[in-house]
Amino acid sequence: MNRATRIAVIVAMAIAVLAPIGLVVYQSFLDGPFFQPKTAFTLSAYEFVLDDEDFFDALYNSAIIALGMTAIAVPVGALLAFLMTRTDLPGRRWIEPVILVPMFVSSVVLAFGFVVSLGPAGFVTLWFKGVFGFVPWYLYSKWMLIVIAGLTHVPHVFLYTSSALRSLGSDVEEAARMTGAGPLRTAMTVSLPMVMPNILYAAVLVFFLGFELFGLPLVLGDPEGILVLATYLYKLTNKLGTPSYQLMAVVVVAIICIALPLVALQRFLLRAANRYVSVKGKASAQKPVSIGVWRWPAAAMITGWLLFTVVVPISGLVLRAFVSSWGEGVNLLDVLTLAHFRELMEFPNLTRGIVNTLLIASVGGALSVGVYTMLNLAAHRWQSGWTRLMDYLVLLPRAMPGLVAGLAIFWVFLFTPFLSPLRQTMIAIWVAYTLVWLAYGMRLVSGALLQIGPELEEAGRIVGASPGRVSRDLTIPLVKVGLFSSWLLIFVTFMREYSTGVYLLAPGTEVIGSLLVSLWGTGAVDLVTALSTVNIAMIGGGLLLMSLFGKRSHG
Amino acid sequence: MAKLIIDDLHLSYGSTEILKGITATFAQGEIVALLGRSGSGKTTLLRSIAGLEEPKKGVISIGDQPVFDAAAGLNVPSEKRGLGLVFQSYALWPHKTVFENVAYGLRLRNVPKAELQQRVAAVLDGVGLGHLGDRYPHQMSGGQQQRVALARALVYNPPVILLDEPLSNLDAKLREEARIWIRTLIKRMNLTAVFVTHDQVEAMAIADRIVLLDGGRIVQAGTPEQLYTEPVSLFASEFMGVNNQIKSRVQDKRGGYARIELSGHPLWGKDRAGKGVSEEATGVIRLEQVEVVDGEGENRVPAELETSVYLGSHWEHVFRCGDQTLRAFGRPLPAGTHWLHLPPEQLWVF
Repeated sequence: MNRATRIAVIVAMAIAVLAPIGLVVYQSFLDGPFFQPKTAFTLSAYEFVLDDEDFFDALYNSAIIALGMTAIAVPVGALLAFLMTRTDLPGRRWIEPVILVPMFVSSVVLAFGFVVSLGPAGFVTLWFKGVFGFVPWYLYSKWMLIVIAGLTHVPHVFLYTSSALRSLGSDVEEAARMTGAGPLRTAMTVSLPMVMPNILYAAVLVFFLGFELFGLPLVLGDPEGILVLATYLYKLTNKLGTPSYQLMAVVVVAIICIALPLVALQRFLLRAANRYVSVKGKASAQKPVSIGVWRWPAAAMITGWLLFTVVVPISGLVLRAFVSSWGEGVNLLDVLTLAHFRELMEFPNLTRGIVNTLLIASVGGALSVGVYTMLNLAAHRWQSGWTRLMDYLVLLPRAMPGLVAGLAIFWVFLFTPFLSPLRQTMIAIWVAYTLVWLAYGMRLVSGALLQIGPELEEAGRIVGASPGRVSRDLTIPLVKVGLFSSWLLIFVTFMREYSTGVYLLAPGTEVIGSLLVSLWGTGAVDLVTALSTVNIAMIGGGLLLMSLFGKRSHG
Repeated sequence: MAKLIIDDLHLSYGSTEILKGITATFAQGEIVALLGRSGSGKTTLLRSIAGLEEPKKGVISIGDQPVFDAAAGLNVPSEKRGLGLVFQSYALWPHKTVFENVAYGLRLRNVPKAELQQRVAAVLDGVGLGHLGDRYPHQMSGGQQQRVALARALVYNPPVILLDEPLSNLDAKLREEARIWIRTLIKRMNLTAVFVTHDQVEAMAIADRIVLLDGGRIVQAGTPEQLYTEPVSLFASEFMGVNNQIKSRVQDKRGGYARIELSGHPLWGKDRAGKGVSEEATGVIRLEQVEVVDGEGENRVPAELETSVYLGSHWEHVFRCGDQTLRAFGRPLPAGTHWLHLPPEQLWVF
């Protein structure tokens, strides 16, 4: 790519990122919807929101939940990572792939799973009551929400800590052993401090995800009226009867204002962490540390966690999709049925949703990877103010939860004359998805690009190829495999995405995720569980493809 | 005729100056080695010639055409300079066969198919790989990959070929053979070549002329003989060969010679740095110039034999003389004190 093309690509990206955010900020200072002819600048929307007790309730809840889930996810995730990578824990090989499952299942689907399993009339609840005569938990409490949020975010901590532990050379540990430290002491004084920056990064990430939480509180917080920022925004639409754009804009601005510093902090920590790990020793075959009889309690802990966060919700959900009704004293075999799936097929919007989801994940995902590749190539091996600008621009959409980004894109398509005919097509959905996952996708592709040494491209320039030809003949063919595995990850990611499409939901733009959110509101549990099961099966297919392709996922 | 001219080249990374004013001329058909330690700026200089680094000041011309001129704002991109570069890591494209790796430069120049076939085959034959065109780089040995890299850089007849540490990834035995065939090949094709190395033996074996760099400046440039026998500085003498060093003060000066002493014995040596009387100075003499002799005399010192090492073709002896150590080559010697002769014309005082 020559300089002019690079700058053009970066400018196009700047417009795509800044337009939605700019529109939201602009809207937040108006007294009515931006497209109405008579609107005036005012701070009234801010005054209204800052006067609303519910807003502060939601803010408080978000903070408590984010803190609580961080306090749960970090120790569990770090311990899990240590046990899996460094010890002779029995059954490590088969546990490991399962650990990441909660990351790949959409959190509304997991939440439905918890409702049908652990809710007041859930499978596990009723079974427990039958055996012990009482139930010690109440699913819809704030504590339960924190525990569930914490345990379902363990994989994030696990992922970052375990990869750091793996890349840590065993020679630094062996050096500690040689100077006389026992295995436990080595772990506490050498291994753990060396991966501390990565754990810290994971902690900030989980805290940030806690603020963005939407699916879990939407489903689990609703019965008791527990609102968090994202669900407050979602409910705001109905609160005043008419859609009050300016109020929604103010909440979005608030969310971005909280998220942006956290995103910046993550970026800073990630750099610090990488610098730390690059001082590592030589990575060679590591000898697992023997933890003796502690193997069994450790194994029991992991099994318990897996049961709670993966097996119970998902098996409950799938089971519920195949039974006609459920309650106390119902015999499972009498109620088994395929009726819900047949019913699913009778709704044209639901079948369209399934087809659309497949399309957005496969074709849309490929196009998105194409966009991410273009953007990466624009900044590839180029140090300048433009690439630094791009680095920061990438962070902005990251600070917008899917719900918020979907809303902002919806407004952009409403506002821009030549875009408005496209608003009710999958193109709007694709733009929103691509934007929401921009930072993630960029990192996947740049990871692939960084695999090739600079001299392979320099050699191309030397023998006479222009920068464009180097990209076409050398760079792209060399990263083909990396791009394919990026596409698989984006495929699964788009498949489980639910919040981005919520505001864009219209005839023609249905995707499974947004359909689930709106169906849950109508109380159609049969359809919700059937559709969730279809979604899980599709994601499972994607994961299967990924493991066949033999590429480890890094979410 | 000068093929490549570099004039007052400066280059910085941020605030660190890497090249501090390099001026050099490379003649047609000449093989020049850029020699220096890591961090001396030799690779940066090579990459600047290739157009992979952008200096902040100076001029680079190939033939009569300037390709870089900071004052005029001229910086011809790498692909338009038409040079050949052999990378240290070879940088063979793993997704192309050997034939395609070599042919790529010709395809970019729209060479007709038949001619392309013939030229690639010819250059592969030239490096002794005519039969391996269908292989992929990973199916070849290190030595073969290096030949492919050379073939790729030669196939479009570049005016100048650049080589970045071309032999450093080969094992010792292979390296000695490669030195000879690379020099033979380049000479046969009458090419102008610039190559970077940190190994002075390699530089002397391949190059017609050596440019010794240190800290971003040229220390000395000349034929291998000049650099070895007439180093201009202590650094140059240390870099080019294996020396004895004698730390002392200048005692006296006479007719281009300076007198130093080694544990009380006077030694005359060539005055190479113009140090004044009673200034600190270092006497330098190559190991092979120190002779073990029978008795006392001019420029001779007595020394205790400390240990001897057998090196196959000869012995290396380590002597102690006062608080300093002297090493010399020679036949096996009995233990005890021996007289060593340090010829004045071979002893350099810096």
